[in-house]
Amino acid sequence: MSEATVHSGGIADHVHPEPEGFVRKYIFSIDHKIIGIQYLITGFVFLVLAGLLAEVIRVQLMHANGGFVSADTFNEVYSVHGSAMVWLVIIPLVTGGFGNFVFPLMIGARDVAFPWLNMLAFWMFPPAGLMLFSSFLLGAPAAGWTEYPPMSLQGAAGTSMWCAAIFLVGVSSTLTGINFLVTILKMRAPGMTFTRMPLFVWAQFATAPLSMVATTALAAALAALFMERQFGVPFYDPTKGGSPVLWQHMFWFYSHPAVYIMILPAFGLVSEIFPTFSRKPIFGYKMIAFSSVAIALLGFMVWAHHMFTSGMAPLLQLPFMVLTMLIAIPTGIKIFSWVATLWGGDIRFTTAMLFALGFIATFTFGGITGVFLSAVPFDLHAHGTYFIVAHLHYVLVGGSLMGILAGMFYYFPKMSGRMLNETIGKWTFWLFFIGFNGTFLPMHYLGLMGMPRRVAEYDPQFQQLNQVESIFSFVMTFALLLFFGNILWSIRNGKKAGPNPWGARTLEWQIPSPPHYYNFKHIPTVFSTPYDFAEPLPYAGLEEELTDSPGPQAGH
Amino acid sequence: MENRDPVVHLDRNFWVVTAVLAVIAAIGAWYFGTFDIAKLLPEAAQPAGDVDRLTQFLMGSGAALFVIVIGYLIYFCVAFRHRKTDPDDKIGVQIHDNNTLELWWTIVPTVFVVIMAFFSVKIWYNIVLAQPNNGVVVESIGHQWYYTFRYNNVHGEIPDAMHLEAGIPVTLHVTSSDVIHSFWIPDMRIKADMVPGLINTLHFTPMIPGTYKIICTEFCGTQHGTMEKQTVVVEDHAHFVAWYDGWVNKTRNLSDALPKVGTGAIALAGGDASAGGALFSTKCSACHAIAPFDKKVVGPGLRGLLADPKHPNLVNGDKASPEAIAGILQHGYKGDIGVMPDQAANGLSDKDIANLVAFLKNQK
Repeated sequence: MSEATVHSGGIADHVHPEPEGFVRKYIFSIDHKIIGIQYLITGFVFLVLAGLLAEVIRVQLMHANGGFVSADTFNEVYSVHGSAMVWLVIIPLVTGGFGNFVFPLMIGARDVAFPWLNMLAFWMFPPAGLMLFSSFLLGAPAAGWTEYPPMSLQGAAGTSMWCAAIFLVGVSSTLTGINFLVTILKMRAPGMTFTRMPLFVWAQFATAPLSMVATTALAAALAALFMERQFGVPFYDPTKGGSPVLWQHMFWFYSHPAVYIMILPAFGLVSEIFPTFSRKPIFGYKMIAFSSVAIALLGFMVWAHHMFTSGMAPLLQLPFMVLTMLIAIPTGIKIFSWVATLWGGDIRFTTAMLFALGFIATFTFGGITGVFLSAVPFDLHAHGTYFIVAHLHYVLVGGSLMGILAGMFYYFPKMSGRMLNETIGKWTFWLFFIGFNGTFLPMHYLGLMGMPRRVAEYDPQFQQLNQVESIFSFVMTFALLLFFGNILWSIRNGKKAGPNPWGARTLEWQIPSPPHYYNFKHIPTVFSTPYDFAEPLPYAGLEEELTDSPGPQAGH
Repeated sequence: MENRDPVVHLDRNFWVVTAVLAVIAAIGAWYFGTFDIAKLLPEAAQPAGDVDRLTQFLMGSGAALFVIVIGYLIYFCVAFRHRKTDPDDKIGVQIHDNNTLELWWTIVPTVFVVIMAFFSVKIWYNIVLAQPNNGVVVESIGHQWYYTFRYNNVHGEIPDAMHLEAGIPVTLHVTSSDVIHSFWIPDMRIKADMVPGLINTLHFTPMIPGTYKIICTEFCGTQHGTMEKQTVVVEDHAHFVAWYDGWVNKTRNLSDALPKVGTGAIALAGGDASAGGALFSTKCSACHAIAPFDKKVVGPGLRGLLADPKHPNLVNGDKASPEAIAGILQHGYKGDIGVMPDQAANGLSDKDIANLVAFLKNQK
């Protein structure tokens, strides 16, 4: 390939002019970077609200007979906390947020395949969040984030609002999945073959079909629940011939893959951070990439492991148990590969790296307890208890949320052009890590000893440990406050980042921070994998990116 | 792409650390693999011991795996840290992969998963499929927010603790009258959801006499956190028979048929107060006490229902009268404070209602 073809301009260098005016630039933007940041800001606002609800839960549980709020309020609080954390925080942050901002830059694209669809998908998200939180005004949903009927059929009016809100974020998530899949398939820069894609792109590639296919099952389940609640169409009410277990099947057919929607992109972020701060190629690139796809595929075949106690033909439990255990193999391969990446590295302990290392520790723990739960006889004891609460928080908070925090410390300079304060960052990490483990580790024990989940009051023998957990949860909350303070302070006062503060080798770090509206002055050509620190950068056509040359001519 | 990876030399420290980690992992595996769970939580029924063996196996192998992963993680972080004296552009050893190593860490977990699956299936088989069918059959019905039980030849649902006999296998069918509940006896490691319209079955054999908690683990409404009941495992057959015969006799004259709710008023003449009393203790006493109004269980206390100057009206606003009480028993009542089930849900015949009203009239 000659330089001439790379620089020839033509269709690849044709860009639309940058929109003018605040509204078109920052509110109804079609720029994937702005939309990504919009997702991040909205998601973090919802994280604050959902985190406050979490603290209401922890304060209530400091006493065995509750008393901070009434039992009914408590039920609303944890239901909205769970729903918000899953649908308004983790999923939008890892797909809509980091997905949008990062991966089009990584594959050398000017935007996603369908920018207007992207804008539409984003603008379904804040209204859905407002609907969910405002359901408190009508009587919020109170049957947990799983909203099992018949409880959810009896729930207050806000439960219908919950259905509509989750339906809306579901549609948003489906649209984003389609958009990302097409973008990865069709819009990679010349030479960006599948085996040269950064692992975060692989993670989004594995996640997108999950969002597309699984979410539609949830949408159907929600539509049916909404119709039954509002119009009395009997889907789930057993007294009218419906089946409550039907909801559970449809809900988990979505919600188990949703676990991977939440964790695979976090895997991807960690897979970027490890090579950068070890100054080494990621170990076992192909195995990490393929294991994401394997996890996504297996993730579709294990949903009923959430329902071992619900009532199903006993023989049906076997395939779900064994398939679930199989997921441990690709997951294990990933963990071993990350650890092996550290070997022989030149490891720099930035905050992003600390969070990524913390992620490995807590996720490994959560993964191991997940294998426990796949074994039916153990699950029959642990199901519905605080052991489950502990396991899911190890995976989704110690896993996904730590991945998100790692990603924020890593990508904030690219988004804003300024660094986050690393000293405060390290305090954030240690307080968060200690607070997290102190909050959730004792829950394993409580669950196995007989404390059921979703209780506003409980056996006084468990009070002491619950108080310990609550105190650690305050530490964790304080760490998050530090994080938000750090962002608000650094966005104006942080050290200037420059294009590549971390010495990273993927494409997004070879262009200015923040990138131009059109991302690349010239679409680069890719010659090799991104993680070879001993080699020259494997890109051609980036020479003008950091110069004052005018960039592509805007045309229509 | 040809493999241009440098040849890897593992230094002495690596093997020393590996040996140390192997020892710690072995100790962890031994500690958790032999941890005496029964010390913390009795193994009060037959599957509990099996389940705990599996738990020990999972904890032991999980501990070993965790020690190895985190051990290497920490060791690599320390050994390969960027030092202040290192040049800023120092890079790590540029290796990409190692097929042998990757093959091993795929094969070993696969073998482990096969062993774990085999072990789990074996215990699953013992619990789910291979239970003896002889022994006692009990049914439990979940209600918001209490459990009731049905035994062969005992009419109606009894609100007493579930009594079982040590060493006799139990087949327990569970279901629910309203929303989904769950039936968990932590001390016996058994659990099944109580799903309305569906019967789930548990098999177990209580082994150690004693009183154990039954706990609801499926969210079922306001008082889910306090939904609890006891099961009493008695030592010998005579104790069990004494308890069982007591309930057979108490409920001898009660109807077991599930009547329909009629629309017409129920004839109250000829109500038998003593039959009503027996019925009250099986059907009503889980929620109502024969005590002053303020002694609330789930619903209010019902002593002096017809002559309480502080509460001249019933919950639905009707003036307290035998006919009005019968009306609530017949049609139920749904209000802010809770739900009184109707005649069909409570399984009451018209005659049962007449008997209950006669009984309540006497509670002055």
